[in-house]
Amino acid sequence: MKLVACVVGGLLLLAAVILAAKASPVAVALALFRGAFGSKDSVANTLIQTTPLLLTGLGVGLAFKGKLFNIGAEGQFLLGAVFAIWAGTQRLPAPLLLPLALLSGALGGALWAGLAAALKLWRGVQEVLSTLLLNFVAIQLVAWMVRGPLQEAVKQYPQSDKLAISSRLAFLWPGTQLHQGFLIALVLAVLIWAYLAKTASGFALRAVGAGAEAAEAAGISVAKTTWGTFLLSGALSGLAGAIQICGVTYFLADPYSKGYGYTAIAVALLANLSPLWTILTALFFGALTAGATEVQSAGVSSVVIQVLQAVTLLTVLAYGWLRERGK
Amino acid sequence: MLSLVRSRRRVPSLPSSPRPSSQSWEEGREGRVLLEARALTRRFGSFTALDSVDFDLRAGEIHAVLGENGAGKSTLMNVLSGLLRPSAGELLLEGSPTRFDSPADASAQGIGMVHQHFLLVPPLSVTENLLLSANKAKGGPLSWPITDVLDEAKVLAEKLGWSLPWDALAGSLPVGTQQRIEILKALRGETKILIFDEPTAVLTPTETPELFATLRQLAAEGKGIVFISHKLDEVLALSERVTVLRRGKVVARLKTAECDAGVLAEAMVGRDVIAPSPRLVPRLPSSPDAPSSREEGQPNPLPNEARVAGEEGRRLSGGEMALTVQNVTLRKLKNISFTVAPGEILGFAGVDGNGQTELADCLSGMSKPQSGEILVAGAALQPSPKALQDARIGVIPADRQKRGLALSMTITENLTLGVQDSPAFRRGPFLSAKALRARAEQLIQRFDIRAEGPDSAASSLSGGNQQKVVIARALAGEPKVVVAVNPTRGLDVGAIGYVHKALREAQASGAAILLISTELDEVLTLSDRVAVLFDGRLMGIVSPQTPREELGRLMGGAA
Repeated sequence: MKLVACVVGGLLLLAAVILAAKASPVAVALALFRGAFGSKDSVANTLIQTTPLLLTGLGVGLAFKGKLFNIGAEGQFLLGAVFAIWAGTQRLPAPLLLPLALLSGALGGALWAGLAAALKLWRGVQEVLSTLLLNFVAIQLVAWMVRGPLQEAVKQYPQSDKLAISSRLAFLWPGTQLHQGFLIALVLAVLIWAYLAKTASGFALRAVGAGAEAAEAAGISVAKTTWGTFLLSGALSGLAGAIQICGVTYFLADPYSKGYGYTAIAVALLANLSPLWTILTALFFGALTAGATEVQSAGVSSVVIQVLQAVTLLTVLAYGWLRERGK
Repeated sequence: MLSLVRSRRRVPSLPSSPRPSSQSWEEGREGRVLLEARALTRRFGSFTALDSVDFDLRAGEIHAVLGENGAGKSTLMNVLSGLLRPSAGELLLEGSPTRFDSPADASAQGIGMVHQHFLLVPPLSVTENLLLSANKAKGGPLSWPITDVLDEAKVLAEKLGWSLPWDALAGSLPVGTQQRIEILKALRGETKILIFDEPTAVLTPTETPELFATLRQLAAEGKGIVFISHKLDEVLALSERVTVLRRGKVVARLKTAECDAGVLAEAMVGRDVIAPSPRLVPRLPSSPDAPSSREEGQPNPLPNEARVAGEEGRRLSGGEMALTVQNVTLRKLKNISFTVAPGEILGFAGVDGNGQTELADCLSGMSKPQSGEILVAGAALQPSPKALQDARIGVIPADRQKRGLALSMTITENLTLGVQDSPAFRRGPFLSAKALRARAEQLIQRFDIRAEGPDSAASSLSGGNQQKVVIARALAGEPKVVVAVNPTRGLDVGAIGYVHKALREAQASGAAILLISTELDEVLTLSDRVAVLFDGRLMGIVSPQTPREELGRLMGGAA
């Protein structure tokens, strides 16, 4: 009942916004659907957009599960991209390059999150602050990289050289741009679920999140678990950046991220921090992103999509609040 | 354990007619009725937390609401203070029907609530905290009536004989003072009714009488006081009338003057007061501390220091001691030495804050002593949670909701805490879900944990059942040493009996038990020997038969 009220309320709010922009809500909805699922290409595009959101969403969700408010997925994503393009353009035997690039990306993200972990554990700096600020450092780092150490050989544009074909992720669906990174993300969602639900280390992570003092008293090292959670969370976002490099853009540019790391917070929260639900919520946000261009053809700015994302999150929060309050 | 429960049930439960003294109830009419609840019912899903409850409060009285954990006391108070809306029934305020849409609404209608857990903002000053709860209806949204608020509060405080540090940060003040701020928040010029939810639970023994004096004074001014508690002695000492709740129903309405602890306890739990849990095994010969003279209650002629040193000196040499603590110093705790034999309960008495926390921290592995040694069965122990598990020391921590349980996790997961690294429940990096669940089900059975199932969240359990989960974890591994810190704090009579029995059973199976408790009765009934802490020092280890006056002297620091 309350859920229905929330959804209807959210839709009405959205319709009001679209009407205020002097467009037809129905036309916008149809355009959105067409843009996200209307053709083979648009479906592929939706899944391409889903991939970084799923990986960063998993990373954020994992950290939140451990009561670590890592809102630095954006920065960790960027570091992953930097590390991946660097590793992927090394002079090494071709078959090594792709795995090396992906692993380096994960390592880069983990390092960036590790900075926040070190600040928290050794200096008591709140991770909300450190991870957020490190995002801006990462943005500047990318800007410098593509104008300095990683700039293309011809030194013309602020961007890196392109990856060789052998360092790229293969296509998954013939005739589209969809790459194997999507599959990697899906597999990781299941693995992260299994990690949390089935392993001792995942149990420790959840226990520390649910009650750090109780976990410590039961012989779980909160410090070690916090390190592990940060590194794993950062590695997932870093891998997202690496996959974006190896599967979509093939080079690093400035600016690089479309804010995946921030959308990831909404993705994770909407999924109630469950790795499997994250697949669906990432798909939802991926579809919104992919459908955005088509929406413009319906005569509305694609900013409407951001409004839609916001309304979705507000609807979910309102529902949670109502459910809590009704008790 | 079943036999014990059954033996207690020999006393017939209360007759189904729920008003054993309706006569006196009627006679007791004096003072006008401030608040009346008629057939108040509140359901949560299919669960009925309040079932057609009638309740009334008169001006100038202290009316106690008594009941076990989960009897519906908090629900009733939350309805009366506007936090919850009733599912059925009506509320009358001074005779006219009313409803409370929110706590703010109830407060505007003259009902103040003092919560058990304070709702103060620690980094704000006392005055600022008062301002936060000031009547928002007065003045515009930008009004900042800090002088008005302070003036009003100062008048109230003066009437109550309090002097409060108005500019101090709320978080820096003693608990008793924080409670006074809460009372001032609830008290306004127009407040007629004050509800206190277990106000003594957080207070030290010296702060409690001061609170009682305040409550009496407020009642004398004509306010109606609702006093929620499950402590019988407090209810008897303070209230004029008692309404007893059980399973959401009113089972008794009594005039306090006409009943005693036995009547109240029976009404509350439907069985007689918890008997001291009897020893299950005779005193072990390895408990060499019972000089007959002391058993007979004669004061020991030796000075305390010499007595401790002499007695412990003899015992320390014994390699058969389960637990030996030698010259341990940690923060407040100074140079403590004692031993506990297998099958023995050593109780620590003393006013809270005299080193108990530090002692508990050392022996539960949360802190390492600054100096001194802890030996378990003769082997040195470097305290850490892990080392304690390896040495088979079970801990029942003082703060069960924080240190004992991860409340949002399930019972199974909470029972997994502590064995997550044990090879029996691991297959490589994976936890063996089946084995863990089987163990959880077994422990739920053995420790009689009442829950919907092993997958219910620990937060959904009543306080007593939460404590059973903690105890199950501490005792599951047949520990050699059990460290129990305030194991019955905040529990109802039935749960207290259960905890005591569980400790007795652990004792019978040969565990050495260290009981640190602020409840002197508990220490005296359970312990074989009683150690008294004062100002971080061990004042003496005496027999539980020692006269209370002497114990009191030791607890007060007199040599």
